[in-house]
Amino acid sequence: MSTHPGRLARLSPYVVVLLGLALVGGLYTAFLAPQSSAQEDPAAAQSMAVKAGRDLYLSGCSTCHGLDMQGGSGGPSLIGVGEAAVVFQVESGRMPLAAGTVQAPRKKVQYSLAQIDQLAAYVQAHGGGPQLPELAAGDSLTNGDLQEGGELFRTNCSSCHNFAGAGGSLTYGKYAPRLEPASARVVYAAMQSGPESMPRFSDGQLSVEDKKAITYYVRYITRAAQPGGSALGKFGPVPEGLVAWLVGIGVLVVATLWIGNRA
Amino acid sequence: MSTPSGNDHGTAAGATSTGGQTPTSEASGGMTSSAAAGSIRDRLRSPGAQSSGGDTRGSDLSGEHFQQSDSSQQLYDNGRDERQLSHSSPPQEAEIQEPRAEDVDPAAARAAERLVSALFLMSFLGVIGFLVTYVFAPFTYGLEKHNQLFNPLLAIFMAMALGGIGAGAVVWAKRLMPDEEAVQERHPFGSDPDERAATAEALKGGLDQTQLPRRSLLRNTLLLGAGSLALLPVPLLFGLGRFQHKERTLATTGWKQGVRLIRQNGTPVNRNDLEIGGIESVFPDVPRGTKLADSAALLIRMRPDELKVRAGRETWSVDGFVVYSAICTHLGCPVKLYEQQTHHLFCPCHQSTFEADNACKVIFGPAARALPQLAISVDPEGYFVAQGDFSEPVGPSYWERPS
Repeated sequence: MSTHPGRLARLSPYVVVLLGLALVGGLYTAFLAPQSSAQEDPAAAQSMAVKAGRDLYLSGCSTCHGLDMQGGSGGPSLIGVGEAAVVFQVESGRMPLAAGTVQAPRKKVQYSLAQIDQLAAYVQAHGGGPQLPELAAGDSLTNGDLQEGGELFRTNCSSCHNFAGAGGSLTYGKYAPRLEPASARVVYAAMQSGPESMPRFSDGQLSVEDKKAITYYVRYITRAAQPGGSALGKFGPVPEGLVAWLVGIGVLVVATLWIGNRA
Repeated sequence: MSTPSGNDHGTAAGATSTGGQTPTSEASGGMTSSAAAGSIRDRLRSPGAQSSGGDTRGSDLSGEHFQQSDSSQQLYDNGRDERQLSHSSPPQEAEIQEPRAEDVDPAAARAAERLVSALFLMSFLGVIGFLVTYVFAPFTYGLEKHNQLFNPLLAIFMAMALGGIGAGAVVWAKRLMPDEEAVQERHPFGSDPDERAATAEALKGGLDQTQLPRRSLLRNTLLLGAGSLALLPVPLLFGLGRFQHKERTLATTGWKQGVRLIRQNGTPVNRNDLEIGGIESVFPDVPRGTKLADSAALLIRMRPDELKVRAGRETWSVDGFVVYSAICTHLGCPVKLYEQQTHHLFCPCHQSTFEADNACKVIFGPAARALPQLAISVDPEGYFVAQGDFSEPVGPSYWERPS
């Protein structure tokens, strides 16, 4: 590169200013803001997320839910539904809705996890509502007492979702969905927000610890390997007995006939 | 008869040759006997039977012979005789069986023996493998890690253990044990006529010995005493539970005035605990309250303006909180499937649907009556208490139900 003295002289003030800024910034991060040096300012990150979420909302959701989340012809108002509702609906693929049916079906998820967080932050920032718990480092939504979770699940959840989380039917074509595909966040958010037909379980009813235990239990019964082989849809003794009688006894009868024929 | 193993059944011939000599043609043989005789006759008359018998026995054993035989000893002998002749249904060539390779070739027999022994050995290995797997294989079962092989290994070894014994026994019986077909006939079911006559005689004599035909006083009082027993079931028409029903156990539950609503784990329910759209399974706070099958109830919170309060029930609910019996009025299933948007309460057994926002009126299904409502109020500490028992008896209908 050609080093023309005149050009260098013209550039030098900018270089000085840049160096000075870098020095001041470095000193600031080194001495004045040691806490936020580890990670970004959470408030700023939050407002960034809200901003990004607003863009996502306006492009993806506002057609039905209205420009100000006031609701419209296609969808209900989102004021007060909280981040839990957003996480449940979007992370399970139910929103954006493809067609008006009696109940929103689980579909392919349209947004990344980061985008879902941004949408949730935006909806939470405008009207509040049920939230997911703040998790400390190393904590998770499935960090709970499995046995306690089982008790609570059988008391509060199993009447609709079946003892093994296989789901069941409700009135007029509605249904309680199968819990197997749901992520831990979606399970927790469903209890927290009470989507569609599902009742809402406030923290006064089921504490954060209770809900973590239930979430863990749901993941356990739906995701843990089946020690007995095929679960046959987890519908309980009826299909199991059917298979035992039709398949098991049938095979035995055929084997007996075969042996009798060969004798 | 040429059975390959060389077993000899020829000794029965003497007894059977006298069997057919005394035809009495009684009807005592009955259906089964004559049906059996028919098939036997067919078999015995086939040419193979006669030629293989090698003497006149085949023609002696006609169908009549089986129908009329009057001594079980004779029948048994006939059965043995028949057993000898039973290969005859497909004629001639089938009835002399081909000797198996194992019968003529010692090498083949040894091979069969080795096969059976190998199967038994497999069974032994299966037992050892099962025990080793059960005791020493790592068994972890959970969400994160899980030994996928544990149960399949147990199943494979158990199949080896049981299947080896079974398959070995089958091969053993088929290839090494004597190859013969044997039929044992049943004797007719009826007793012989002499025995039946003697029994009838004894019964008649017994009646005479009671002297009932002669002593009319005895007979008439016996008829009166025994006949009046028929009156005893009459009170059943009016129910056995008069004393029980005075206590109205079916019509009452564990709920009383001032009893708190508790959860399954025993904690009372505060009015601040539920959000709108929330539900809670509640029980009366009495001894063993959570175990009382008739007292289970469902606390529902909805927006107060959504609740259609029925006349006369204005004070039964608190600020959108209502409590209904959780026992279906159809057949008593637990009704806890609550849809918070439509306020439908749904019974999973027979699809009865109740409107929780409208005094649990039935809108679908076989239930005949609305779910009984429990009147509630709030005590000074903010906990829900019952104002009394349910508005009407809970659960399915029963005979003496007051309403």
